[in-house]
Amino acid sequence: MKCKMENEKCKVQNVLILRIAFIVSLGMLASGIWAFPEFQAYSARHSGRPVNCGLCHVNPDGPSGNGPGQLGRLTPEEMRRVNQSRGAREPGQAIDNPILNPFGDHIIQAIGTKKLFDLRRDPAGLAPALGFKSDLDGDGIPDAQEYLDGTDPLNPSHGAPGKLLLLNLRWNAAEVLFALLAFGLVLAGLAGVIRRMIARDELEHGSTEDNA
Amino acid sequence: MSRPSLTQSIAGFFTERFPAAKLNWNDLVVKKSVPEHQMSWAYYLGGLALFFFIVQVITGLLLLLYYEPTVSDAHASVQYLTDYVPNGALIRNMHAWSASFMIFFVLCHFLTTMAMKAFGRPREITWLAGVIMLFTVFAFGFTGYLLPWSQISVNATKVVLQSIEQVGQYLPAALAGLPTTIRYAIQGEPSIGQATLSRFFAIHVLVLPLALALVLGLHLLSIQLHGMSQGVDKPTGRLMRFFPTYLMKDLRAWTAALLVLFLVALTVPFDSFLPFTLLQPFNPMGSTPQGIKPEWYFYPVYYPMELLPFWVVMLGMGALTVGLLLAPWLFRGARRRTLAALSGLAALYLVVIILFGHQIYVLVKGG
Amino acid sequence: MLENFLFNGLPYLAITIAVVGTVYRVRARRFSYSSLSSQFLEGRNLVWGSVPWHVGILLILLAHLFELVAPGAWRTLLTPRPALLAIEGLGMALAWFSLAGLAVLIIRRVLNSRVQAVTSLMDLALLGLLFLQVALGLGTALSLRWGAAWSTGTVVPYLWGVLSLRPDPAFIAGMPLVMKAHIVGAWLILIVLPFSRLLHLFAFPWRYWFRAPQRVIWSSVRHREAAASLMAAEESRRKFLLGTGSALVGGGLLALLGLDKLAPYLLGPRLTSAQQADLLETRLVRQQATVEQQQLALERARNEFIKVAGLAELSPTVGKYFIDYEMLPALAFLGPNGLPQLLSAKCTHLGCTVGNQVNDGKILCPCHISYFDITTGIPTPGSPAKLPLPILGWLVRDASGREVASRAPGGEVRGQIDQAALPSYSVYIVKPHMEGV
Repeated sequence: MKCKMENEKCKVQNVLILRIAFIVSLGMLASGIWAFPEFQAYSARHSGRPVNCGLCHVNPDGPSGNGPGQLGRLTPEEMRRVNQSRGAREPGQAIDNPILNPFGDHIIQAIGTKKLFDLRRDPAGLAPALGFKSDLDGDGIPDAQEYLDGTDPLNPSHGAPGKLLLLNLRWNAAEVLFALLAFGLVLAGLAGVIRRMIARDELEHGSTEDNA
Repeated sequence: MSRPSLTQSIAGFFTERFPAAKLNWNDLVVKKSVPEHQMSWAYYLGGLALFFFIVQVITGLLLLLYYEPTVSDAHASVQYLTDYVPNGALIRNMHAWSASFMIFFVLCHFLTTMAMKAFGRPREITWLAGVIMLFTVFAFGFTGYLLPWSQISVNATKVVLQSIEQVGQYLPAALAGLPTTIRYAIQGEPSIGQATLSRFFAIHVLVLPLALALVLGLHLLSIQLHGMSQGVDKPTGRLMRFFPTYLMKDLRAWTAALLVLFLVALTVPFDSFLPFTLLQPFNPMGSTPQGIKPEWYFYPVYYPMELLPFWVVMLGMGALTVGLLLAPWLFRGARRRTLAALSGLAALYLVVIILFGHQIYVLVKGG
Repeated sequence: MLENFLFNGLPYLAITIAVVGTVYRVRARRFSYSSLSSQFLEGRNLVWGSVPWHVGILLILLAHLFELVAPGAWRTLLTPRPALLAIEGLGMALAWFSLAGLAVLIIRRVLNSRVQAVTSLMDLALLGLLFLQVALGLGTALSLRWGAAWSTGTVVPYLWGVLSLRPDPAFIAGMPLVMKAHIVGAWLILIVLPFSRLLHLFAFPWRYWFRAPQRVIWSSVRHREAAASLMAAEESRRKFLLGTGSALVGGGLLALLGLDKLAPYLLGPRLTSAQQADLLETRLVRQQATVEQQQLALERARNEFIKVAGLAELSPTVGKYFIDYEMLPALAFLGPNGLPQLLSAKCTHLGCTVGNQVNDGKILCPCHISYFDITTGIPTPGSPAKLPLPILGWLVRDASGREVASRAPGGEVRGQIDQAALPSYSVYIVKPHMEGV
């Protein structure tokens, strides 16, 4: 139920709501609720493969701590970028968050932090929300699908093995065909040669001795 | 006639195993033949293991051109090779798959030679060399696995080395510290780090290949001197010439193997079977990811260690090693049927533990 | 002027002479329409010359024809790199093959006295022209790679222009001399065709495809058996030759494909400067991280005490991260009575770094949601972590270095904090000493 901004009273009310939201989110910041293990937990549960914070974050252990890619180590300029990214409630903003990897950046860019918070209650919804068009590592499996399969959306050599097999067969079809052709020629040729050698063996059959 | 002296016995033993009289063209080339029977297909398995080893040497040499054996750069150099070097991902994938294929064929070769009682007199030294190579090949896998310096590399190595230390509790007090010392000698330092990586790199790239080449030379010389073993109780009498018929058939098997290896390496990245958490660079200050376990060919030892008391596995491994080394003498009077049954049981165990080890573990330990 | 004649006029001259000359010869001197084979005069070397020459040149000409008739299909066929490599490789092999065969034929014709007797000047001229033409084609392939691909855009439209009476030499104007000479050579061969034995091109034995196989039936038993075993031997010899040939061709293709993969691998990646900069930057970041780690390790090796923070900086609600003597992450809070509270930040579940925000006296490990009490380090029941976070020992000193308060790891707290002098106090961790060292 949104107030239209023409009404003066509404304006004040909206500003108050914004102020409260700001304080609440500061409070959430203070309690560290900007880490979302629900998604990583869902991905691991759904796929049966272990998944960690490295799905979206630079540091595989997540954003808290003072290791590389974690909050404790950020310069003020980098912290500014983190806050800018956290403020991107709606999709469409270009994101370059120093604690997120390109997939994490892509999620915020595609759906915004507001939707991200909503999806915490329904992590399965992240995949349809992202859509199945984006494929950051170019392995042929969409990022949202890699999220469901528990594979790395930023590593082209990582994906569900069966899917990668079929995709790579199609991608390398010419190579596969030529390999089959060339190997086929060699194997067929060898078969002919062997047949002749066996025929010669049979001719000499009687004169060879056994090995004990 | 007086009994031969000890020196004469030993000399006689070796001259029978390495008959210099047979080192001539006629014996080695012209007259050499391979019996054809029901188990003849097994004669190609050793050659296939050798083929995959040759692939490993070549792809390993190519990988060596880009790999950097330092703790800070190892993982990144492998990543650079995969992402930027043209066909780097293919070469790396061939190396990974060929390692598994090699060990697979070595195991098949081992099981079939046992079933065919190929270690009978005078082929004992062939067998001993083979057993040494079996252990060497596992050492290859173990040392090579550490080199990418990813989470699974370092943590799986830690798991295996920790188990060496556990032997200490069963040794008498004076020797109790020995396994720890051995572990530190292998690691090069108290905890796995640069010294370990340098050591494993040297072992994997130089020491083991040289050792394997030498033992392989002995193994092949022995095979050429004595020829292919009979293999079955009742030989059919059908023979094929070693040169050139058997060699051509061997070459055909190698060509087919190369085709399969190439297609598999081209289409299925070896890394995709592991969770990506384990492929991330090793972080000594970070968390240990879940799901750490060694490669599939170590499962026959790993899962028993997880499920059974340590001393049971220790005794079992000891007995197995001694049994393998003394097999030609232990099973001298055994019939081929018995050996085939034993071999079949071993094969069954291997298949079950490799394919279903994890499920069994979950069942027993309750996840 | 010369170019104009060679590419606008010569084609039509050649085609006219070829057509008119052939028709005339077939009608007026029918029995000269033959290849005048010298097989009965000299048969052994003929095989080694004629077979490679004819097999090679026919396949090459077939490829030329296919390209002329269906350039679109040809281009599509050559799009995948292995296809381009295979066809260029085969073409090159066939060219050498045919050149070798032709060389044998020429040598035979010049050196064998019987064959010399039936050789005319035109035969020699023709052989020379053919040899030159194949050599020029080979030279083009060697100096200008991937001819199979670029010829569809140059020579093919030019030839179609010639055939549709609208020649446009602009298509081939910019070509190097060796290629132009190859084109001119083709027209010259056409001119020579009706006046030489090359006319046998048109005597293609197409009926052989459907001819019933001939069977020789010997009347004597001895001949019959000999013939049967000879047939079997020839059959197996044929299989052997075909087999070896097929294996060699396959092996050659494999070698080609393999080398094509190996060469760029050995040469290394060709990076843009942007990529090089990115890689250098990541390398630099990594090396800086290594430097930092080693500096930390040095500090811990050298010093008995390491300063964590000034006591005034610590807060009861937000922990300060530091690295302890084991190079592991740890947290420092302000505990009760103004004394510091230090505990390990390596979660006892699987080792993630625990968060530093205190809520309700507890800190959270976000990896698998474990809460730890900051005064005792004990995880709340229900957390995946079961063991408590170790409490670390500390030392508080004032500005002059005098010890004010301390706590041994796992031990009692000693000393008190004077709030007035708080700003001058600093918190340190103490190097642990090993037993007996």
